[in-house]
Amino acid sequence: MDAHIPSTPKEPMMMELLADVSLLPGEDRIIDKDIIYICPFNGAVKGKVLITNFRLYFKSSYNDETVMLDVPLGAISRVEKMGGASSRGENSYGLDITCKDMRNLRFALKQEGHSRRDIFELLFKYAFPLSHGLPLFAYVTQEKYAENGWKIFKPMEEFRRQGLPNNKWRITFINEKYDFCDTYPHVLAVPFESKDEDLRRVATFRSRGRIPVLSWIHRENQAVIVRCSQPLVGMSGKRNRDDERYLDVIREMNHTTKLTIFDARPNVNAVANKATGGGYEGDEYQNAELVFLDIQNIHVMRESLKKLKDIVYPNVEESHWLSSLESTHWLEHVKLVLSGAIQVADKVSSGNSVVVHCSDGWDRTAQLTSLAMLMLDSHYRTLRGFQVLIEKEWISFGHKFASRIGHGDKNHADQDRSPIFVQFIDCVWQMTKQFPTAFEFNESLLLEILNHLYSCRFGTFLYNCESARDLHDLRSKTVSLWSLVNSKSEIYLNPFYSPESGRVLYPVASMRHLELWVSYYIRWNPRIRHKQQSPVEQRYKELLALRDEYLKKLEQLQLTDSFTSPCLSHSPTPNSSSPTSTSSQQFTHLHTPF
Amino acid sequence: MEFSEHIKTANVENVVLRQPLHPPARGTLCVTGHHLLFSDREERGSPQLLLLLRNIDATEKSVENLSGYSKMSASSGTITIKCKDLRVFQLDIPGMEQCLNIAHSIETLSCLGHVSEMYPFFYRPVDVNLQEQWGLSSPEKLFGQTKEFHDRWRLSSVNRDYSVCPSYPPTVIVPKVLDDESLKKVAKFRQGGRFPVLCYFHRKNAMVIMRSGQPLTGANRRRCKEDELLLQAVLGDSNKGFIIDTRSSQQAQQARMTGGGFESKSSYSCWKRLHRHMEKGRALQESLIKLVEACRDESHNMDRWLSKLENSKWLSHIQTALSTAGLLAECVERDGHSVLVHGSEGTDCTLLISTLAQIIMDPHCRTLEGFLTLLEREWLQAGHPFQERCAHSAYSHAHLQHESPVFLLLLDCVHQLWHQFPLALGFSDSLLLRLANEAYASNYGTFLCNNDQERCTHEVKTRTHCLFKALLKPSERDHYLNPLYEPTELAIWPSVQPQSLQLWTEFFLRWEPQIQHIEEAKKEIKNMISHWGKLFESNPFLNLLF
Repeated sequence: MDAHIPSTPKEPMMMELLADVSLLPGEDRIIDKDIIYICPFNGAVKGKVLITNFRLYFKSSYNDETVMLDVPLGAISRVEKMGGASSRGENSYGLDITCKDMRNLRFALKQEGHSRRDIFELLFKYAFPLSHGLPLFAYVTQEKYAENGWKIFKPMEEFRRQGLPNNKWRITFINEKYDFCDTYPHVLAVPFESKDEDLRRVATFRSRGRIPVLSWIHRENQAVIVRCSQPLVGMSGKRNRDDERYLDVIREMNHTTKLTIFDARPNVNAVANKATGGGYEGDEYQNAELVFLDIQNIHVMRESLKKLKDIVYPNVEESHWLSSLESTHWLEHVKLVLSGAIQVADKVSSGNSVVVHCSDGWDRTAQLTSLAMLMLDSHYRTLRGFQVLIEKEWISFGHKFASRIGHGDKNHADQDRSPIFVQFIDCVWQMTKQFPTAFEFNESLLLEILNHLYSCRFGTFLYNCESARDLHDLRSKTVSLWSLVNSKSEIYLNPFYSPESGRVLYPVASMRHLELWVSYYIRWNPRIRHKQQSPVEQRYKELLALRDEYLKKLEQLQLTDSFTSPCLSHSPTPNSSSPTSTSSQQFTHLHTPF
Repeated sequence: MEFSEHIKTANVENVVLRQPLHPPARGTLCVTGHHLLFSDREERGSPQLLLLLRNIDATEKSVENLSGYSKMSASSGTITIKCKDLRVFQLDIPGMEQCLNIAHSIETLSCLGHVSEMYPFFYRPVDVNLQEQWGLSSPEKLFGQTKEFHDRWRLSSVNRDYSVCPSYPPTVIVPKVLDDESLKKVAKFRQGGRFPVLCYFHRKNAMVIMRSGQPLTGANRRRCKEDELLLQAVLGDSNKGFIIDTRSSQQAQQARMTGGGFESKSSYSCWKRLHRHMEKGRALQESLIKLVEACRDESHNMDRWLSKLENSKWLSHIQTALSTAGLLAECVERDGHSVLVHGSEGTDCTLLISTLAQIIMDPHCRTLEGFLTLLEREWLQAGHPFQERCAHSAYSHAHLQHESPVFLLLLDCVHQLWHQFPLALGFSDSLLLRLANEAYASNYGTFLCNNDQERCTHEVKTRTHCLFKALLKPSERDHYLNPLYEPTELAIWPSVQPQSLQLWTEFFLRWEPQIQHIEEAKKEIKNMISHWGKLFESNPFLNLLF
């Protein structure tokens, strides 16, 4: 089986179309072919397709109105043949590609000599490498970056930043070899007085051994966010005194009078889970209150996003847009996740410790804890802090990225797939809309993260848990997405960012103030106006650049003219202190003389 | 007549004011001829509430006799006041009689019908005098500025005494070939005497936008030679023009039954009619009422918000307005044809789309001065009946007559443009908010009356102050400039997909306490921008450095 079919260009003109594709280091051309792209917006477009081990690239042959596609193969969820050798009608024979990123692609080929066989097979193979014994592209790429993104998150450092360990909370290495809980990170923060034996006993009563551990601690009031999976209550209503005691210990750490246990699920789902051995904390947990947050499960979310895709791609539902949007319930789910996180943040900031779980504690729980932490801790709103947040609450705590996204796997109908992380990023986007000055990063970062959630170009979102990542030497063999981001961080920065460290952000989680994230969900539609990278943001960045240039010129002027211009010489020099905070005052000093 | 006739109780102590965004306050309430005042007892400074009675759209009173044992002093009442700027607040007033008196005064004084009794005639700020010239523009000025079309157009004062068309200004721009006598004949053939006049000259290709009332063809297909001549003269050498009729073709057909009609193909062979059905009048008013109702829905579960928003149809009215204006601009700018716009009266949707089209095409209309001048020309001088349309807003369900939020719809459409092209407009969105308030209740005379003639009769231009002038004063002006403004000569084509249109939250949800942090953040951003923006603008020295 030769992967590289030498392409003999019949038309040199057509070949040139693909000449300007810049491939990544380690990216290899697999096949190229004349093809017709059935563009849902421009109709059938003749051109050439190139498939590499990383991407599908298409460019139309008519230069006046270039149609271009550049799709990472990782974004493909399904490839199907469309029509047969005998199907009639124009462009009825070809390929139908379903993508994970809110679009579908259709290509037509000439109906002769099995013209699509090779391209179909190669595409199928490289789009789903894991189903064909091939490595993911992240293991093939040779990209090099100035910064190593794998160093952005060091668990111990992050705990130290939060002031841990302290006299109430300790760090345990009980899971160093992942034999205590294979889906948890290797370091965990637990109450100081709980011995490792206690933890082992608690683990028997928590689904998959995901015991309650600390995610975040409030510096001043010492209230904590603790996360875990559901208790194994079962139909018979089992109890576990160690678990009860353990939660009470957590409560006592900062003298919270009533520990709030947030169960992310709707009440009925929590009850239903008893049938499969799960359940929720009952009255036997003294000094605790249980609150259900009514967030639906991964299947509901998957169907909701599917409905949303149906009304935005390829054609946007126009006549009843708002009620169609409403009937997808997507924004309603976003609202419930956000309002759940608000409740968590509110409890914690008023000094009450909380426990958050759902069933397994790796989907809804991750959404709630990470959003609450984003509201409570301004560090996570910085460019690097946000990376830490994702690394910590999502990646290290075992959100099953591999199963939820289905990286490199041909099984498109897998019931484990669900856009939980997309929904989280949507919630973050909603927050950035409501607090435009509170985040150091901008929308581009969120879009970039979602692109690479699927692309398989970076190791960041691969595998289900830390133990699997270690097993596959992820950190040494792949590049981190944060390497890319932090090497060109300026494009991800929000110029309006003004840090306010102590502020807790409570977004408005009301339907009236949630918006559909059009620039993500409808970004493929050329008819929707896409504000090119937020013009206001761009323009302001220009102004700031102009200011910096001005300061530099001024400095030069001062150096040369300081003795001729007395009014300049007794004002402070621009570089004498930190630039932004004082420069504004300098101008009021300076521009009067002119 | 004396306002005091309507004021039985002028002052009440111990009133509790509950208004959005503020904690409840106890203090003194005072009713004057034009204002409702409330001041806190502690703070002697500015009153906590100074509300034009004109701003009040509806009141509700509930009087409860707390005393089961008939002690009059224990009784009290609550007046709920719903304002045209959509604010709703409550006054708890001790004493049933006082409460009823106050409510009565408010109800009477807030909808006094007589123009010359309105507050603008009494508003006398210290720093301006009435001698200043009123308004920003005139047809003469416009005509004088556009020398390049003097060979084919002229200024006519056929309407100098408002007898030809009561809702037109005294001078208008018309094709040169038609004399005043012919214009009078055309006026008789157009509803309200609104014969086709020029409202916009597109410099790039010398094409024009005309507007008028509907032709009175009636059931027996009457014709008017002068009208046909006039339109022929508009075309000049070109052999094709478009008529954008803001009614559906069915509605236009039906209008013939009541004496109206449309330009038939046979009589106006060079003109192609395009029908775009635009809602106005009652339908628009009801849309606003529904929208505001949805926005005020306090019910715990807002699951149905999007459906309610859709059902109000407000956003789809915006969509229609913007796309019809886009069509008009396309005819002129892209296809290079002149266009005549009208509906039936030509005082509502006609003005809406001619205004929007000009903003889309003409960079000058996107500056602060240019925009205000445009509003003056296309809404005030062109005779949009503000007094009738803005007599009530979204809360007053009773006795609606000619109310219709067409001007508000315009402002919302401009807001959509502002959102889609944040750098292309020279004014800030707070200007739109300000105008939305002023149109319904104002210290200034600008939006008084229904047309120029009435303004003349009531001496509005000599006895009141002009809002637009005030907005351009150095002290106000800064607040209404867009610091990121980057002038562009290009047309700004709006996207009218429903996904691109957004609820104007700054207006419709402005009194919601939960969104104050968003407003604050926006303000902060604005400050950041204007800090640097102004620096470069005000300091030419900086630019010399580069």
